[in-house]
This record gives sequence, C-alpha cells and structure tokens, in this order.
Amino acid sequence: MSVFIINNFNFTYPLNEAFALRDVNLTIDDGQFITICGKSGCGKTTLLRNLKSVLAPHGEKSGEILFYGRPLAEVEQRQQASKIGYVLQNPDNQIVTDKVWHELAFGLESLGYDTKTIRLRIAEMASFFGIQNWFMKNVKELSGGQKQLLNLAAIMAMQPDVLILDEPTSQLDPISAVDFLETIKKINTQLGTTIIITEHRLEEVLPMSDRTIVMDKGEIIIDDTPKAASEKLAKMNHPMFLAMPTPIQVYADVINEEYSVADSIKFNKLKCPITVKEGRNWLSNVFEDKILKIKALEKSEIKPHEKIKPVIKIKDVWFKYDKNEPDVIKDLTMEVFPGQLYCIVGGNGTGKTTALSLISGINIPYRGKIIIKGKNSNQYKIKELFKGIFGVLPQNPQSLFVEKTVRLDLLEILHKSKNDEGEYLPLKEKEERVNEIADLLEIEDLLEMHPYDLSGGEQQRAALGKVLLLDPEILLLDEPTKGMDNFFKQKFALILKKLLEKNVTIIIVSHDIEFCAKYGDQCSLFFNGNIITTNTPDKFFSGNSFYTTAANRMSRHIFKNVVTIKDVVYLCKENLVK
Amino acid sequence: MNDTFGTYHPIINFIYFCTVILLGMFIMHPIFLCTAIIGAFTYSVFLNGKKAVRFNLIFLLPMMVLVSIINPLFNHRGMTILFYFRDNPITMESIVYGIFTGIMFAVIILWFSCYNEVMTSDKFIYLFGKIIPALSLIFSMVLRFIPRFKEQLKIVYNAQKCIGRDISSGTFLERMYYGIKIFSIMITWSLENSIETADSMRSRGYGLRGRTSFSIYRFDSRDTVVSVVLIMLIILVISGILLGENSIIFFPLIKTSHITIISVIVFIAYFLICFLPIILNMIEIYILKRNKKSGDLDVSVYNK
Repeated sequence: MSVFIINNFNFTYPLNEAFALRDVNLTIDDGQFITICGKSGCGKTTLLRNLKSVLAPHGEKSGEILFYGRPLAEVEQRQQASKIGYVLQNPDNQIVTDKVWHELAFGLESLGYDTKTIRLRIAEMASFFGIQNWFMKNVKELSGGQKQLLNLAAIMAMQPDVLILDEPTSQLDPISAVDFLETIKKINTQLGTTIIITEHRLEEVLPMSDRTIVMDKGEIIIDDTPKAASEKLAKMNHPMFLAMPTPIQVYADVINEEYSVADSIKFNKLKCPITVKEGRNWLSNVFEDKILKIKALEKSEIKPHEKIKPVIKIKDVWFKYDKNEPDVIKDLTMEVFPGQLYCIVGGNGTGKTTALSLISGINIPYRGKIIIKGKNSNQYKIKELFKGIFGVLPQNPQSLFVEKTVRLDLLEILHKSKNDEGEYLPLKEKEERVNEIADLLEIEDLLEMHPYDLSGGEQQRAALGKVLLLDPEILLLDEPTKGMDNFFKQKFALILKKLLEKNVTIIIVSHDIEFCAKYGDQCSLFFNGNIITTNTPDKFFSGNSFYTTAANRMSRHIFKNVVTIKDVVYLCKENLVK
Repeated sequence: MNDTFGTYHPIINFIYFCTVILLGMFIMHPIFLCTAIIGAFTYSVFLNGKKAVRFNLIFLLPMMVLVSIINPLFNHRGMTILFYFRDNPITMESIVYGIFTGIMFAVIILWFSCYNEVMTSDKFIYLFGKIIPALSLIFSMVLRFIPRFKEQLKIVYNAQKCIGRDISSGTFLERMYYGIKIFSIMITWSLENSIETADSMRSRGYGLRGRTSFSIYRFDSRDTVVSVVLIMLIILVISGILLGENSIIFFPLIKTSHITIISVIVFIAYFLICFLPIILNMIEIYILKRNKKSGDLDVSVYNK
C-alpha cells in the first residue's frame, strides 16, 4: 500500500512566477525510509509541507496528492493530525508547554483522548525514547538534542503512520544529531513507520535510507537507492555530489581514471561504499596484495613565529560564571598569530564558546591575562574593542538583526560610522559598501527580504555581512557553518581566504571537523576547559583516532597522514596508475 | 527534602493551605497560636531546610518584634498601665496584643512560604484548568514563553554589544537608540517564532473539537482518607470557633474562655490540622526505616 502518491504536482508561491515545485511524481510505500536532499532553496521544504494540509503554504497548485488512495484535501483534519507526524527544524519553537509530560500529552489532548488512554500512550513513548528520567522536568532545563527528541516523542505518541522531518538536526551538535537519527532509524525498523526526511548530514542518514531523492530547482532529478543515486550524481557532475558521504566521493573520484585492465575488472566487481566501514573494506580490497609506492603524504609543521608577535595571547586564564559554579575555563593558554585561521574543535559544553567570549571581553577571567595586540584586554574600552578590532558572529545569527530588511540592517551597522577624515559617511558611500559586501557574500537577492524570513544558511551569511562591515582585524566566528550546505561552505572558505590575505585573523569555534581540516591553519582540541593539543590540521587530524575526518578514518589502515578526500584520492591514483 | 504531603492530590494541598491560612488569621487564642506557629515553623524548615531557618531569623523575628513594639505605641487601650511614654500610657494588654499579632503575621507568612514550595505551577494550573480548560494551556504557554524571552534578550544584548551596540555605555541618546532597536527586534522575534509554534500546534491537531485536558494527578485511596480526615477536623475546629471555645478578649482586660472538654477536643483537632503534613511525613519515614531494618535483617540472615 502506498502512503503517498503524488501525481504531476506543481506549485507556485503567490507573486512569484517561477515554479517552486514542478512536475513532481512520487510514490512512497508503506514502511520506507526516504531521504530527500538538494541545495537549500530547491523546494524540499515546500514539497514536505504540501504533504500535510494544515502546514501547506498558500499558492497555486495543480496535480494531485493521494494519502492512502484518497486525495489529501479530503482526508479529515483529525486523521491528518494523528496519522501524519511532522517534525520541524527548530527544536525550541515547536515546544508549546512548559513541562515535558504536558508536551507529550499535547497532541493527544487535542485529539480528545481520555486521561487513561493518554497516560498509557505517553508512558509507552517515554519508555521507548528513554525520556522517563526527565519526564517531570521543565522544558527549559533540557538540552537542544533532548528538546528535539521530545518533539519527536510528542508526535509519536499520536501513533502516526508516516513521519515527516524537515532538517531536524540542523540546530543540533553532531553527537545529539547522530543520536536523533538513530532514534528515527529505530522508529522505522521497530514500528514500521514510514519516514520522509530532508537532511544535510548525509553521512549518517544515507546508510539508513531505502531511497534517496535528489531535487534541483523544484524538480526531482534522481529517485533511486542511495548507492545508485550517488553514482548517478557523480556521473552528472552535479554540485550536490559534494554533499555526499566521503567514501562515495572517494570512490567516484578514483574510478574516474584510466587503469590497467586487471584493476578495471576489480573496480567493476566492487560496490560503491557508503559508510566508513564499507570504505575501509573497499580500500583494503583495492590494495589487496599490492605494494604501495607512496604510503604517506609530506606534512607541514607549525611554522615557527619568531619575528611576528601574536595578535592574541592568552596566559593561564581561569573563568567561572558564578562563585559557586565549577570552573568553565581552566588554566587556558593559547596564542593566535595575525593572518591565521585558527580552529577550535571539541565536544559540547567543553568551554569553547566561553573561551570566545573571554577573548572578546564579554566575560572577564578571574585569574590570568588576555593580551590583545600587545595590550591587556581590560585596558581597552568596549567601544575600541568592537569598533575596529573585533567582529563577533554569535552562534545564533538571528540575534544580530534589528531591522525590517537585510539592506536596512546592513546600513544600520554603518550608522554614525566615520571615514578616515573623521566625517560621517554619506549615504551613497554606505550603500556602495553594503552592495560590495552583498556581492561578496552572494546575498544581493536577499537584500529586500526580512532577515527572519531567510533560511539558516542565508541568515548566517547576512549576519556575517553585518560583522564584516565593521572592518574587524580579528574575526571570532561561533559555529559559522551550522546550517550551511556544502556548496556554500566552499564559497564561505573562499571569503575567509580573501580576508586572511588582508591579514585579518580568524578564530572559528566549530563542530564541523571536515571544514576545519580542509581550511584551517591551526586546530586545537578543547576539552574540560582547556586546550589539549594544538597543531596544523594535517598533523592534528592524522594523530587523532576518533576526533578526525571520515577520509582519515576510512584510509588510515593503508595510508598515513591523510586528512581530506583530496589526499585519499591523490594517494589512490598515485599508487594505481601505471 | 522529599515531602510526602506535596505528593497528595493538588486539591488537598490547596484546601489545606486555604484552611490553615484562614484559621490562622482568625484565631488569637494563645494555645492555638503557639500550635500554629510551631506547626508552620517545623513544616517550613522541613521543606526548605537551612534556608528557612535563616529566613525566619533574619526576616520573621525582627518583624514580630517590630509589630509588638509598634502596637503599644499607638494603641493605648487596656486597664493595666505599666508606664507612661511621652505622656502616653503603655498598657500591658496592648503589649500582649502586639506580641500576639506579631506571631499571627509570622504564622501566615510561614504558611505562605510552605504554600509556595508545595503548590508548584503545575498544580495551580491543574486546579484552574479544571474550572477553565483553555486557561490552563495559556498558563502553561506563558510559563514556557517567559524564560525563553529572557534568555533570548540576553543573547541579543550580548550579540549587539559585540558589534559595538552597547546599551550600558555611550551617550543617553545612543543608549536609547540601541535599547529601542533591541526592544523592537524582541517583539519581532516573539511574533516570528510564534508562527512556528502555531504550526506545531495545528500540526498536532490543536483546534479540533473536543479537546481534553490531561493531568498527571490522580485522586487515589490515600487522598480519600486524608481528605475525609481533614474535612472532619475542619468541621470540628470551625464549630469550636462558632461556639466560642477558643475566643480571647484583650481589652479592657485579657480574658480567655474556660477550658472544657469541648475546647480540649477542638484544640486537639487544630493541633492535628497544623501538624498534618509533618505527621504524614513522620509516618512515612518511620515505615521506610522499619522496612529497611527488616530488609537488612533478612539480608544478614541470608548471608549467614
């Protein structure tokens, strides 16, 4: 039985001529796990929202959507509410009430179940999701991952047949994200609930899914098994391919070359790997009884900075938020040199964000020194620090916006700013600078939109624009790649590179290991309020066994010092080509 | 401290506190007053531990002393004149009356501090939800919204500070300008996010006919027992008041009603009311201890 059948579905938003969805044909069978991927703005969310009447956006539609053989519009609201579960992006906004138990019961209350039934259902769900320990808690005490799990449980309590999830993990850190996706998998395998999910963490979600659907400009371009879909993407040379898991990318790049007959036959026999485990096996098979010509890559050491003075120097710094609370930063010492891209990685709650706030002077350490450009940071006035020295991009980019449109917001930052001669900037010059930045960050099309209407990645860019207009010498970025898709990550790296060339110093706090490995100059691992090790990304990631890139994990049994996909592909080709 | 009384049905908690607070306001008889203050004090210490002792010493004791001093300064009624203060007679009756009023205030405040601890927001919401179901959801949503708003305000404030928009420094006009900007964006933020909350509510069937109101509270057999006992005690005490068994007159001369069998019964009833939470807790502690002991014994027998 098919849960959804979508026939020739078209959709356009009001006041917009372009199709948001075009000729969508899709059949979703009972119990399938379907991943929908595509660039941001490709129509994924529009498609998902059209699958539930109360959430469907306004606009012109044609074609039909059938839910268990009946047109969706004719299915009563009550049935839709309980049978089609929908999890949204933001964990916080979805929670309605203040108590965990009340939130779990919310949907069932709406459906009018009696107390006895509700009691049983939420007890069941709380046990299934392992919520029983925080069942009586106030929602505000939960972590982001727990909140999203609560949202999921609250929907599962209504016993839906199909679960629709719209980028549910985009606001979560990697570990909670994996936990969340595991739970989705569990729901699919143990309860047989149909899953339709859009995700940008494809490394985790692709191995779980039965089918992968790739969308581009409102159309479905590929609908196949994950392996076949990625092979097709590789053949099409589609930019979406860059979002695929590392083993697939390595595989596709490697087999693209001409090899000896024996090798070619071998390649044809081996299947495309998706997980790190499969990737390892694949490499082992490829290099079975072969002598490696090159085994390791030459790696750069940290350049000694004898002449240059560090722009930021932190010495023996301790910090805690309150006298009775434990120390968040313990004896932190670090140096950052001008023109460096310094990456700080590490788990949740290890004090990374706090360290940033100490550097920028928002929080003040109770012991130790922070020296910014040769001067103790507490000797600066706040105005000096934030007009010219620091640019801070907070974790939540939304908190930077104060105006009705992005353009006004960017202009606002230049409010009362002066040029070199100490005069106020004329409006024309301000506009020029705004346009320049918009051009750099590719947000020209978004200038007239309300900042809150942008998607996560777009907000990130607009906020960065605001910060860059301050012309900072030191840029502090907290999770800048959160919610960005892989194509924009590359562009983002280019923007950072341009800034580095102008001798701007950049410090990034991130969970995005792959990004730091690819573009960082130095990486530090934060743990328990302190930096455990600092090194160049190559050394840093090839030395770690868990906290490292997928490329390193899949190839370390054969190659040494490999960190990025490029490295693996290079070594494979060097060793295979005659 | 784990309080047993707090685990009883909210309606019992609510009736109990209404009773002790109202009775506490009307009964001035010394024996009853002493019972009430000891009961309320013990319970508040039981609930809040050290914090309650500190609060009582720093705030309640001075307040009691203050009330007892102020009363005789303004109230000159009474027959027994002790001395003259600036030509005004200070009487013993008004001093005693002052002390008693002070104790009465303390009793009420102590009961309220216990009420705050026991009647959590969910219990309150639940009770009002019984009367007006829509209201309980609104309460719950407001309680969710306020802490979120505060948190976001802090985030926005810090983020603005980091781009040189600091409200805590600069000229008055600048600070006003940034303050208004932050205020306006907070309004936008709340409205914008509430759209998604509304989506989440409708998506889970909010607005369908026949919404029910779920609660985690159950009225079980121990609730029945306690409520029957409590109501009987209340009837006894109230009839005692109506019969004047615990009346006291301060002016012109202090005079209490005679001690009779009925007044003793009424007193015992009042005592039981004031100590009900403590008694329930003691019973539980005793049973747990006994069970643990017999359990230990079993284990030791088993070990041999």
